[in-house]
Amino acid sequence: MTTYGMVIDLNRCVGCQACVAACKVQWGAPEAESRDWVVPIGPVRDSQGLVSTFYVGLCMHCDRPACVEACPSKATFKREDGVVVVDTELCIGCGVCISACPYGARYFHEQRKKVDKCDLCSSRLARGEQPACVETCITSCRHFGDLEDPKSDASLHLPGSRRLESGDARLGPNVRYLAGDRQWRLIHDRFAPPAPELSTPAWLLSRVARPLILLAIGATFLGQAVAFFTQLRRGEHPIEE
Amino acid sequence: MSKRISRRDFFRRSGKGAAAAGAVAASTDLLGLTAEVARADRMKARQQGGRVEEIPSLCEMCFWRCGILGQVKDGELIGLRGNPEHPLSRGHLCARGNAGYLVHSDPDRLTHPLIRTGKRGEGEFRRASWDEALDLVASNMLKIRKEHGPSAMAMAPHGMSAFFMKSVLKHFSTPTFSVASFGQCRGPRIAAFKHTFGMDVGSPERLDFERTKMIVLLGSHIGENVHTSQVHAFADALDRRAELAVADPRFSVAASKADHYLPIKPGTDTALLLAWIHVLLEEDLYDRAYIAQNATGLSELRAHVKSCTPAWAARITELPEAQIRLVPRRMARAMPAVVIHPGRHVTWYGNDQQRQRAIAILMALLGAWGRPGGVFLPSRVKLGPCECPPQITPDDHFPIPGGRYPLAEDCLPAQVLLEAILTGKPRPVKGMMIYGQNVIKSWPQPERTRRALLALDFVVAVDILPTEPVLFADVVLPEAAYVERYDAPLKVGSAKTPFVALRQPLVAPPGEARGPFEIARGLALRLGEDACLPCPNVELVLERALLPLGVDLETMRARGVHRVKPGAPYLAEGRPGRFYTKTGKIELFSESLKELGVDPVPRWEPTPDPPRGSYRLLYGRSPVHSFGRSQNNPLLCEIDPVNRLWINDQEAARLGIRDGDEVEIFDSAGKSAGSIPAKVTPGIRSDCVYTVHGFGSRSRLLHRAHDRGVSDTELMLRSVPDKDTGATGMRVSWVTLRKVAPRRRWPRPLASRRPTRGRQP
Repeated sequence: MTTYGMVIDLNRCVGCQACVAACKVQWGAPEAESRDWVVPIGPVRDSQGLVSTFYVGLCMHCDRPACVEACPSKATFKREDGVVVVDTELCIGCGVCISACPYGARYFHEQRKKVDKCDLCSSRLARGEQPACVETCITSCRHFGDLEDPKSDASLHLPGSRRLESGDARLGPNVRYLAGDRQWRLIHDRFAPPAPELSTPAWLLSRVARPLILLAIGATFLGQAVAFFTQLRRGEHPIEE
Repeated sequence: MSKRISRRDFFRRSGKGAAAAGAVAASTDLLGLTAEVARADRMKARQQGGRVEEIPSLCEMCFWRCGILGQVKDGELIGLRGNPEHPLSRGHLCARGNAGYLVHSDPDRLTHPLIRTGKRGEGEFRRASWDEALDLVASNMLKIRKEHGPSAMAMAPHGMSAFFMKSVLKHFSTPTFSVASFGQCRGPRIAAFKHTFGMDVGSPERLDFERTKMIVLLGSHIGENVHTSQVHAFADALDRRAELAVADPRFSVAASKADHYLPIKPGTDTALLLAWIHVLLEEDLYDRAYIAQNATGLSELRAHVKSCTPAWAARITELPEAQIRLVPRRMARAMPAVVIHPGRHVTWYGNDQQRQRAIAILMALLGAWGRPGGVFLPSRVKLGPCECPPQITPDDHFPIPGGRYPLAEDCLPAQVLLEAILTGKPRPVKGMMIYGQNVIKSWPQPERTRRALLALDFVVAVDILPTEPVLFADVVLPEAAYVERYDAPLKVGSAKTPFVALRQPLVAPPGEARGPFEIARGLALRLGEDACLPCPNVELVLERALLPLGVDLETMRARGVHRVKPGAPYLAEGRPGRFYTKTGKIELFSESLKELGVDPVPRWEPTPDPPRGSYRLLYGRSPVHSFGRSQNNPLLCEIDPVNRLWINDQEAARLGIRDGDEVEIFDSAGKSAGSIPAKVTPGIRSDCVYTVHGFGSRSRLLHRAHDRGVSDTELMLRSVPDKDTGATGMRVSWVTLRKVAPRRRWPRPLASRRPTRGRQP
């Protein structure tokens, strides 16, 4: 078993945005969108003085991804190696997963009319390379690898790492952070994930459309059954071949 | 042809791998991925399969010059990545390095020689042939030399590519060079370290982060100022629990990682340093054996700093006395493994050589020079000459009136040059070649610079983009960008792994743009000065330069980097070191400075405080931008679209300014330089404001950079030249602020546009 994950050491990160630039070049996310982000926070004053840090993010490749649950067409799924991906053949571009993700890790790609997100540079992994953000990082603050393999760079940095979760959202993110308590509080206060919500179209799809479809299918079966038995009762030949 | 490292077939491999991993349709479906033309091309190239070649070369987005691998597919440059073999990048690249290839497809590029048709500064040109353009430059230069002497032809170079042209102008016999890397950057540091240790700390700085136990930064904002391997080494050192002290009026990224943060009053660093020296000497904490063996002038220094007590410095620096006393004690514990970063852009207050001397002396007292964890020693890298005869220097020196700036070396201070242009004194300057240097943006008082450019008889500009000085040129010569050209080989002896690296073309330049050697030789031939560049082509120059290394050009083109055997990094323990000063020792008290009329021991001089209601303008770097060179890059501008003004939260409240509000900034004469968004934070002192340098271009031919943000130098009505080197001290101007309605909708930085849905406080 493989579970790809990342431990981002914010004690090393300087917020230089190299990862964002490398990702944009690699995947060509359109203007104003990107698969990963570095948000500066602060400086602000806390009880101990001045503090600042960076919220470095990408798809968290959660253990229990809300996006997978929300996707009506099953285009979003979690692969066996733990990577959450979008099958663009199946994606209908409804955007339900975008609002379901409490980390804001997905965006709607206007030109493709599909949802796009980080896939941990799967094509690079397949070539034996690291994700673009990991390779370029000028402080090597991103520790990437198989979390099941105790010798992977990510696993070696797991001790003391934290997950960005909240009481509302415990999805088991596989991107983790090393950060000081004060810095972590800054990130957590601002970016702790809210409860994954289903937006209106999602609500419609899951609460209304899906039952309706099921109802329709059920009704069809019922109709068929009724017709069959009616035929039997009337002594006509059953419908066959 | 060159042997290039070939890249594995992207598409085939990724297809296979994806299949193995379980159908990664998502990652390979890249059709119609982007609106950005250049990026779309890159995607297309990747999609179509076939070979992607990786060609090693050198970055020039900043002057760290990391190694890059240019990814070329069917003659198209589709991206860059760090060259793992290069000691200064080791496979990493910053945001600028990643985005740098977009310069090749910048629609604003200069692609043809131009001859001015409108007024200077208007940017009206007509296309010309290279022959016509170069003939015109040569005839004007010869006329100026004939009528006013060679020194009437000035040159303002910046960057590696100016090398060959500098040779030509030296051969032309002009001594009139205004060098940005000295006059607006490292000049005071170079002079101070030469007069203390006999040599500079080098670029890249030979700071032994790998083995240090304590790092001290004075205004150096490592992390925001990005030099790839230095930032990496800095992070490694912090990981190893090296102690960090940061003195900065602003809570920088580096400060946010510090064990000791000293929010020092701007302009008082020298007082802090003298107090630290005082503590080391008074408390007998310095490296006595090292000093006894290697240094002279201890008693003079001791007498000089006797009165520089922590209490004295506390009043000046507005720092707690206990903290001033604590830091040198911590340094003494870590001694000699202490890195005191001397900074790069150090032209701040006009007493900068003195401040740099104090840093050098502090290093000496800690025994850090030539010792593990302090400053390691340079290695010798032998390269053949790239010019012939090599190292020509004109016998003449441009006289500086009143014998000022005795440590100016070969760099004519900008203010002396401008004075000469505007008044003809002490000598007339009638012509100027602006080579890659943005003399309007990088010098203070740009209005004065514009006036001077209007007053010249002849201006020629060599550049890749139409920056503002280019608009003042009579003739514009379009140069190939760093991804399109050869430069003279890069020789780096100031790295632990010394090396020689090659910049080579990854793609052909657009239009008729030419490499620096071709431009320089073209002009040299017309000036009759071609004896300095006798080789007919740059490949031959490189072959000859590489000869002493025992590698040929072919090998260099394939590898990009050639490592050289390192010399001893440290002084032999217990034995006196050799220093290239007058006395052969470390000069705590400098006889040679005294002879030149310069303070032989560093002295603090107060710099005036801003008047009530005004703020001192401080400036620095964004990790995403380099000087004024990167604001036209689409990707970098998307990530960091506009500079913001840091202002203290209490001051902002007083002025009714909230975070994100648009603030208009006025210079000390009340003239507006435009408005930008405010960053309201407790992380800056109340007597100063801060912004990133490089924004606010006035060139309307730079479509993305034009009028984007505010230019710090435009607000500098004052500059105080360093009295020793003449370098332009630029942290001496005041501004006032007013909240205004946004003059335009600034794009928000990429990061803030994330649909982050977390709870806001």
